[in-house]
Amino acid sequence: MKLSELKAGERAEVTAVAAEPAIRRRLMDLGLVRGTELEVLRFAPLGDPIEINCKGLLLTLRRNEAEGIAVNKLEAAEATQNGWPGLRRRHRFGKRA
Amino acid sequence: MSQHKTITVALAGNPNAGKSSLFNALTGAHQRVGNFPGVTIEKHEGYLDYKNYRITVVDLPGTYSLTPYSPEEIVTRRFIIDEKPDVVVNVVEGTNLERNLMLTVQLMEMEVELLVALNMMDEVEQKGISIDIGQLEKLFGSHIVPISARNRKGLDDLLDHVVSISEGCIEIRKNKMTFSPEVEKAIDKIASLLSHERELDVAANHRWLAIKLLENDREVYTQVQKYPVWVKIELALQEAISECGILHSTDPEALITEDRHAFVRGAMQECVRLPKAARASVSDYIDAVVLNRVLGLPVFFLVVWAIFQLTFTLGKPLMEALAYSFGLLSETVAPHLPAGMVRSIFVDGVISGVGSVVVFLPNIVLLFMGLSFLEASGYMARAAFVIDKVMHRFGLHGKSFIPMITGFGCSIPAIMATRTLKSRSDRLATIMTIPFMSCGAKLPVYVLLAGAFFPPAMAANVMFGIYLLGIVIGLWTAWLLKSTVLKSDSEPFVMELPPYRWPTLTSVVFQARMKAVMYLKKAGTLILGAVILIWATSNFPRSSALDAELATETARIEASAVAPELKAEQVQKLEARIDAGQLEYSIAGRSGKLLEPLIRPLGFDWRIGIALVTGLAAKEVVVSTLGTIFSIGHAAEQTSLSEILRSEPGFSKATALSLMVFVLLYIPCVASVGVMKKEVGAWKPVLLYSAYVLAVAWIASFITYRLALLWM
Repeated sequence: MKLSELKAGERAEVTAVAAEPAIRRRLMDLGLVRGTELEVLRFAPLGDPIEINCKGLLLTLRRNEAEGIAVNKLEAAEATQNGWPGLRRRHRFGKRA
Repeated sequence: MSQHKTITVALAGNPNAGKSSLFNALTGAHQRVGNFPGVTIEKHEGYLDYKNYRITVVDLPGTYSLTPYSPEEIVTRRFIIDEKPDVVVNVVEGTNLERNLMLTVQLMEMEVELLVALNMMDEVEQKGISIDIGQLEKLFGSHIVPISARNRKGLDDLLDHVVSISEGCIEIRKNKMTFSPEVEKAIDKIASLLSHERELDVAANHRWLAIKLLENDREVYTQVQKYPVWVKIELALQEAISECGILHSTDPEALITEDRHAFVRGAMQECVRLPKAARASVSDYIDAVVLNRVLGLPVFFLVVWAIFQLTFTLGKPLMEALAYSFGLLSETVAPHLPAGMVRSIFVDGVISGVGSVVVFLPNIVLLFMGLSFLEASGYMARAAFVIDKVMHRFGLHGKSFIPMITGFGCSIPAIMATRTLKSRSDRLATIMTIPFMSCGAKLPVYVLLAGAFFPPAMAANVMFGIYLLGIVIGLWTAWLLKSTVLKSDSEPFVMELPPYRWPTLTSVVFQARMKAVMYLKKAGTLILGAVILIWATSNFPRSSALDAELATETARIEASAVAPELKAEQVQKLEARIDAGQLEYSIAGRSGKLLEPLIRPLGFDWRIGIALVTGLAAKEVVVSTLGTIFSIGHAAEQTSLSEILRSEPGFSKATALSLMVFVLLYIPCVASVGVMKKEVGAWKPVLLYSAYVLAVAWIASFITYRLALLWM
């Protein structure tokens, strides 16, 4: 499934990133590599772009950019513990919802 | 004076890591802004004297990585490789270590004299994050100095380290990060192939080149491709690609990035403890409102409205005050100069020329104070997020919106505001959209023409239509540019929403000051020259016959036996007539006549042609020129210009509409062309663009005129 198909509030794990080289590399540099967990936070008021939380960072990307990111949707229970405290952080201010 | 030793320091780091704060804290007032060679990326350079050293600091652009995909990243790595700074200080945000260390790892790979400045330590402590700096130093093999650039803490310690490193007193271990076995194997193989290539620079970092080749780096590709050893390297690369595909079902580039992430994550787990906290942060609450599906857009428009008001409503009295003081200056200076040519050159040419440059300063300063507040507070990225969908439809970026809206006030600060856009093609497209956003100086023209030829209610509709036409053509231009000449490298929207922060007053003021100085120094001189040139074309050559007529007629009136008030009125009328005659006789007047065949199809005669030429100085000048030139031969009771225009047989409703459209679209004032040249960096695109706008203006006015003739 694609990242662009997730709904707000859903969590997923990245399985592959495909995009044109420059965008792909930017996505990967910002942490969207295989195995990374992310959460879709919201869509912009007009439905595009998308805001995601990836390792405590708030990232934005357009739908067409999100289409290149293959993900595995995670069930809520699966996503809760990962050993790494930063993962569940909502934000770098260090507190999560 | 003791002899100074010089040390060059480059600051590298992620956007928002606080590089600029550190740069300002270190260099204070000793800085200058230039451009990196070949690109329009600002290069901030400054120096400071510390102990016995003169330390030159170069602030490199903020980057997440060192790929060849963005000009900022290319500039950064070229500077590090070619200029070989004595020390590279990697500014790292302590509150966001994981992402920041990704760049550190890549700087490590370059094997430079690296020093890590762990910034925002005040925030780190405040949030209860604990960082084991000693352990981090071990893992990364470079010294790490905790600092807080905002509070100027730890700076001496940082400088001591810089000095020690450049003197070789303390060692940098230059640890190598180990990648996956397959990647390491390929790196070793390629590096050894490279080391056997005699033509290649011995000093080159073979391991780094090998990594970049595996990352599919087109810059390094072209660099290495010319050597005979390339044949063997290509084989090795193909082998690595197939091996990574079989064993990891991915490509070397992705694998290398994954390995870097894994290394950084490992380091984080070992060295960083985050507090256990369970409540949503302030940022989350703000975002819940500001990015809300329903409230997001209203909040966005409110902010844009506030910025616009700040710039233009607050700026207007200041602008008027400046204009007034320049008028006052003219009045005081004038009597002390000999009447005639010299006085005219100084008063109408130089003083009003300088005035026309300086008058934009309040707008520029206020807008940039507002924009740097938005940028530093973190809202700017969110604004782009909210409006991006609309802008993207026309090939623009979410960040294009604020400069475009600002264009309704004045193109000059608006064009300068496009600096917030990272990609050059997005910037160019936005810059070229801005002049179509009808600026404040064009308003007097619409008010005059719409007011003269339409009843009040209709006049408002006409003006609204004109503004709308500008927006439509502007967006169409952007779309056209982005789907043809500027097709390449659109900025991806993959970006970070930074946490909200209170910007410091000094940084906001500093930004505004920088912009003001840049405007005065770079664009100001150009604008001044052009304004004086246009003044000259509308004053030279002067007809001596008219001068003589003025003298004899004035003498005749003075000698006649009428009441003094009547005399004054007659002299005034005479002067107006002579002024109009002189204008007709000048270069501007002649070019107006020369232009007539070209603008006849639009319904304009040579008199309108003159107004269009002088209007290049500033659009509101169109009104005053029309006033001068149409006053010829009109009775004194017809005082208002709109009455005069209405009574002109050659001036119909259709002409008025056509002229409004032309003024909206044709070449923006010389000031904005000057700023455009400064921001674009070359004359050619600006001239091509001017030709394009002229063509668009002509076609649109032609259509307007013909349709209006048919229907009205």
